[in-house]
Amino acid sequence: MGITARDLFLIAPELALTVGATVVVLSGLVSRQRQLTLVLALLGLAVTFAFAIALWDNVHANGAQSAFNDSLIVDKFALYIKFLVAGTAALVLIASSEYAERFRPYGSEFTGLVLFSAAGLMLLAAAADLITIYVSLELATLPVVALAAFVRTRIAPIEAGVKYLLLSAVSSAFLLYGFAFLYGASGTMQVVGGSSGAPTIAQALGEGSPDVPFGGLAIMAGAILATAGFGFKLSMVPFQMWTPDVYEGAPTPVGAFLATASKAAAFAVVLRLFYEALGGSSADWSTLFAALAAITMTIGNLVAIVQSNVKRLLGYSAIAHAGYLLIGVAAVTAHGQETQDAAGISSVLFYLAGYAAMTLAAFFAVIVLTQRSGDERIEAMAGMGKRAPLAALALAVALLGLTGIPPTVGFMGKLFLFNAAVNSGLVWLAVVGAVNSVVSAYYYVGIIRTMYLREPAGDASPVAAAFSGRLTLWITVAAILVLGFWPGGLLEVARTAASGLVS
Amino acid sequence: MTLQLLHFQILSAAIFCIGLYGVLARRSAVLVLMSIELMLNAVNLQLVAFGAYSGFGTSTGQVIAVFVITIAAAEVGLALAIVMRLFRSRGGVNLDEIDVMRG
Amino acid sequence: MAFDNLFSEIVFWALAVVTIGSAALVVHLRSIFRAALMLVVSFLGIAGIFAMVNAEFLAVVQVLVYGGGIAVLVIFAVMMTRDVDTGNRSTAVQPVALVMGVALLAALAYSIVQAEWALLPDSLPAPIATVFVETPTQLGRLLLSDYVLAFEVAGVLLLAAVIGALSLVRERRDA
Repeated sequence: MGITARDLFLIAPELALTVGATVVVLSGLVSRQRQLTLVLALLGLAVTFAFAIALWDNVHANGAQSAFNDSLIVDKFALYIKFLVAGTAALVLIASSEYAERFRPYGSEFTGLVLFSAAGLMLLAAAADLITIYVSLELATLPVVALAAFVRTRIAPIEAGVKYLLLSAVSSAFLLYGFAFLYGASGTMQVVGGSSGAPTIAQALGEGSPDVPFGGLAIMAGAILATAGFGFKLSMVPFQMWTPDVYEGAPTPVGAFLATASKAAAFAVVLRLFYEALGGSSADWSTLFAALAAITMTIGNLVAIVQSNVKRLLGYSAIAHAGYLLIGVAAVTAHGQETQDAAGISSVLFYLAGYAAMTLAAFFAVIVLTQRSGDERIEAMAGMGKRAPLAALALAVALLGLTGIPPTVGFMGKLFLFNAAVNSGLVWLAVVGAVNSVVSAYYYVGIIRTMYLREPAGDASPVAAAFSGRLTLWITVAAILVLGFWPGGLLEVARTAASGLVS
Repeated sequence: MTLQLLHFQILSAAIFCIGLYGVLARRSAVLVLMSIELMLNAVNLQLVAFGAYSGFGTSTGQVIAVFVITIAAAEVGLALAIVMRLFRSRGGVNLDEIDVMRG
Repeated sequence: MAFDNLFSEIVFWALAVVTIGSAALVVHLRSIFRAALMLVVSFLGIAGIFAMVNAEFLAVVQVLVYGGGIAVLVIFAVMMTRDVDTGNRSTAVQPVALVMGVALLAALAYSIVQAEWALLPDSLPAPIATVFVETPTQLGRLLLSDYVLAFEVAGVLLLAAVIGALSLVRERRDA
């Protein structure tokens, strides 16, 4: 029952990342050069990536595999999220290499904590029982608490850290209470079955055997409490209130990481839990998620209109986009035919990748645009079209993408999501989503107008971007446009990944 | 009347809700943290009671409780680090100015 | 040791009253310091209940980690707070919070009471004595076999938390 070599192979990506994080932190004792830190971190991520690709091949040949006595399930769905998390972490680290100057002398600790959190997110995507979900969720969360409070000269980051710590702890409490109900109701922690043949939650509930001591109501209560717990991580209304504060107060790269990698893994685990473990129960999760989706995107978009701080606005935009993604979750939990489910899941996976590209581009552009002045007001973006052409262009493309205007990946992603909703009979939800997209155009385009059509108030000198910053901007903008023109490739990968969950 | 699982569960629910009330109603971040610890304790109580009453996996509930306690300790440690940070940068903590629920 | 005797009932109700009472005082008292002390009492009450339901190992851990470690950390934090005596102020939403707390309790109690109780044994199953002895062994075995991954991840988590906490509190060595 111990750990076998096979277990270690199946967890190799996370293992490599953890080792990488430790090496990065230790390297800080020897040298404080940020180039060294960055190179070591990227090396760790490259090894992680290589292992994940090897696993993808392996899973392709042999099917999904479980490891560590069924604590972990390595399927293409999990691997897709792992690619996304590793890629996001790499981009965030490259983009923040200049920014990290202000973390001195703790630049290597900053990098190490990002890698630790990424390892937690990767585990989360592959977690197959409730305990593993909880522990890896906390591994993903706690480093971010420290990261949010990392800037020592100002008070806002510390407030962001306090807020994130307290609210994530509250959400963990809800999550655990929900898990306790689920455990009590089903008598098992297993979300996904594995080689040992231990009963899963779905099986325990489906059989309705006398071994299952509690009834449907306990499952209902457990699922709702767990949804509340996940709701914090997803920035879902009514648990969204921390998002703008933390995005605004935390260092910009941390906000970028939180908005993309964290969100992707959280959506992955929600899909897995509600599709695989609770999918068989008679409760109507689809209606619940549809209602939450509608409320979340509407509130996110409406409050975003009145914002004057760019990072805060991106926080509300993140809430709105959690709403769009929940459309996909609602479509999937409607449980139509398997092909429909696969289409729904793949639309969520596709949008997660596209959303990551757009949000990263926006945050990276904000890093460049605010680097010198530190002024994050939308007003301060006036004239940036001339002062920082590349960053302004990237922000414009990202914002158009977030609005959902073709030919960006945002348009294709929303198309797939709304399509999935319509196929699941949630036409009204697709309509609400479309109306919301139109509303969101108001504030997204407002920023673009400020950047290009208004003259700068004071300083009109060009804002230079470092090579690392320019590189990440080019990569993300290219991703937004390429995936917008040719979505087929990524969609195919997402379909394959989704089939891992369905079959 | 014998003691049933019900009693432990209701006790757990009561503590959880007192904790939730504290989280929502208290301004001081330290108090919010204490209330969260109450909520986590309620969870542990529930898990342990399940283990005692049901035939299945007597100890599995306790295993989670062990993890909850471990992670709660790590959380409180981090919280103290942030409090000290605040203490140094302001020469005194007024955590109550951080209105946690303001959105 | 099924829970059908008067003694265990008395113990349960006493512990329940102490735990709930002190928990309520934690959120009610004006003085943050006293609230922290009440928190310790509440932790100890829960430890007592753990001991009742065959979780004597957890009861000890609860006393050591919660009653000891976490309580000390919290009191540390209290010492750095201004206005300790009157600092426990309410937020603007306090009445709403009360309503929400009571509503959640009602909903939880309803679902707990209604959830197909007929299938549950009324009291603890009989062979408790063996469970009582074997639990720590069982716990250790589970931690290192079925849940070894979570165990290892928890180790990494503690490492990450320590690194995070240290880099937050340490002063700059060089500029």
